[in-house]
Amino acid sequence: MPTSIQFQRSSTAAEAANATVRNYPHHHQKQVQKVSLTRGMADVPEHVELSHTHVVGPSQCFSVVVQDVEAPVSTVWSILSRFEHPQAYKHFVKSCHVVIGDGREVGSVREVRVVSGLPAAFSLERLEIMDDDRHVISFSVVGGDHRLMNYKSVTTVHESEEDSDGKKRTRVVESYVVDVPAGNDKEETCSFADTIVRCNLQSLAKLAENTSKFS
Amino acid sequence: MAEICYEVVTDACPSSVYESTPAHSRRRPRFQTVMHEDWEKNCKRSKQEALATRYSSIPRSSREDFSDQNVDVSSPRYGVSSVCGRRREMEDAVAIHPSFSSPKNSEFPQHYFGVYDGHGCSHVAARCRERLHKLVQEELSSDMEDEEEWKTTMERSFTRMDKEVVSWGDSVVTANCKCDLQTPACDSVGSTAVVSVITPDKIVVANCGDSRAVLCRNGKPVPLSTDHKPDRPDELDRIEGAGGRVIYWDCPRVLGVLAMSRAIGDNYLKPYVSCEPEVTITDRRDDDCLILASDGLWDVVSNETACSVARMCLRGGGRRQDNEDPAISDKACTEASVLLTKLALARNSSDNVSVVVIDLRR
Repeated sequence: MPTSIQFQRSSTAAEAANATVRNYPHHHQKQVQKVSLTRGMADVPEHVELSHTHVVGPSQCFSVVVQDVEAPVSTVWSILSRFEHPQAYKHFVKSCHVVIGDGREVGSVREVRVVSGLPAAFSLERLEIMDDDRHVISFSVVGGDHRLMNYKSVTTVHESEEDSDGKKRTRVVESYVVDVPAGNDKEETCSFADTIVRCNLQSLAKLAENTSKFS
Repeated sequence: MAEICYEVVTDACPSSVYESTPAHSRRRPRFQTVMHEDWEKNCKRSKQEALATRYSSIPRSSREDFSDQNVDVSSPRYGVSSVCGRRREMEDAVAIHPSFSSPKNSEFPQHYFGVYDGHGCSHVAARCRERLHKLVQEELSSDMEDEEEWKTTMERSFTRMDKEVVSWGDSVVTANCKCDLQTPACDSVGSTAVVSVITPDKIVVANCGDSRAVLCRNGKPVPLSTDHKPDRPDELDRIEGAGGRVIYWDCPRVLGVLAMSRAIGDNYLKPYVSCEPEVTITDRRDDDCLILASDGLWDVVSNETACSVARMCLRGGGRRQDNEDPAISDKACTEASVLLTKLALARNSSDNVSVVVIDLRR
């Protein structure tokens, strides 16, 4: 059931995003667009909505994945904010080394080695946003051996109140923009990237829930 | 015995690593360096594997006693070569269990051979090596099973293995596994499994993934398994029927991620990536040998070439004599497996390579 709920939310978000695109009728399809990926979601703080507003180029696609976690925001953020150690929850990461900066300051760059079996070898990623007060982290891909060029993602953690039961829960939202590689279309590219992001966020949820359970 | 062991191990190391080096003088020094480093590792692993194989063999005296009883059911001769190759990690695993099962009321032993090619990490393949043959043994219920019973046995064993690696993730990860201990649920790790059970009159093969089993019969290859690639028409239909999709990224991949359509593990891609094996049962005839190997071999060596190499090694001295020393056949099988591995590396295989050659002559 959680999976289907999550699917519905992702679908709603995608539909909302599409609706947003149509709100710029005066722009040609080939123009740069500004897309708000949390529009249509309930109970989204303003800073979260702003964080998930992306500028999308004509040959790019975008998507958003939402994951609810039954653990405090602080626990989730303590895992998510370790730019220098993504393999804690990203199971496709084999190893990570910070090659520029200290991993905490904006502008730090990490080299991520990817596990076997995936269509990628390594990725160079720059830290764009690290906001410990508002729980916002963002990185962009600046190099590597893979096909996701100009990938930029933003991940936020916030407390959300569900309408149905009034219970507060922690919600992680990850949105991204990326070039569509030659030979693939937007749907394929988002299908691939969504699979990776969804797997990462599910691992994050499990880890955070286990951590908060034992503490 | 010790002398024979040493001899085999020595033969496992090629006298000339560079005989297949391309004739590009500019490229040669760099290539040699890489090959040398790789081959040192490979030799070490080959030695270890060969020694392990040797020590796990039936003692010579027991083998002779067994063979004297009935030449038609002699214990199998086999050779193994399993090397890291150019990839940084070793994620292949091999399991060999002669006489692993003697169903009740039967005087005919059955022999188990398995090759597991892991991806994402090594622990699923390692777990298959430790457990899958025991699950098959538990599922075997009768002597001389018929075809349907063999299929059921293998399907149940693979399903149980898949469930074990999923739930096992909730306990302890092995020490040699690099997964962070904080993340026990490794849903994104998996392995191929190509398994063969050899009985006096049948060869049973169960395959899940893109490793492969090839029978050499009268010098000709007979495939006993079919690779599970996502763009295989029936696999594509099954995946799309389940609501998934196959995306050509750098090659056909399930959801653009995994390059095989069936595997043990990979829970995050279920139900698109299935653990159900395809089972073939082949009557034994005047066969040369059976080759089980990971795609590190098959991606660069054709079935025909592999058969020719293996047959050449097995028949180095002509047809096998009735009283041929078992050690001679073991050595020939080992030579065949090592030669095939070396050939794969020479053809720039970019993966781990694991090869098992089983002498089926009687």
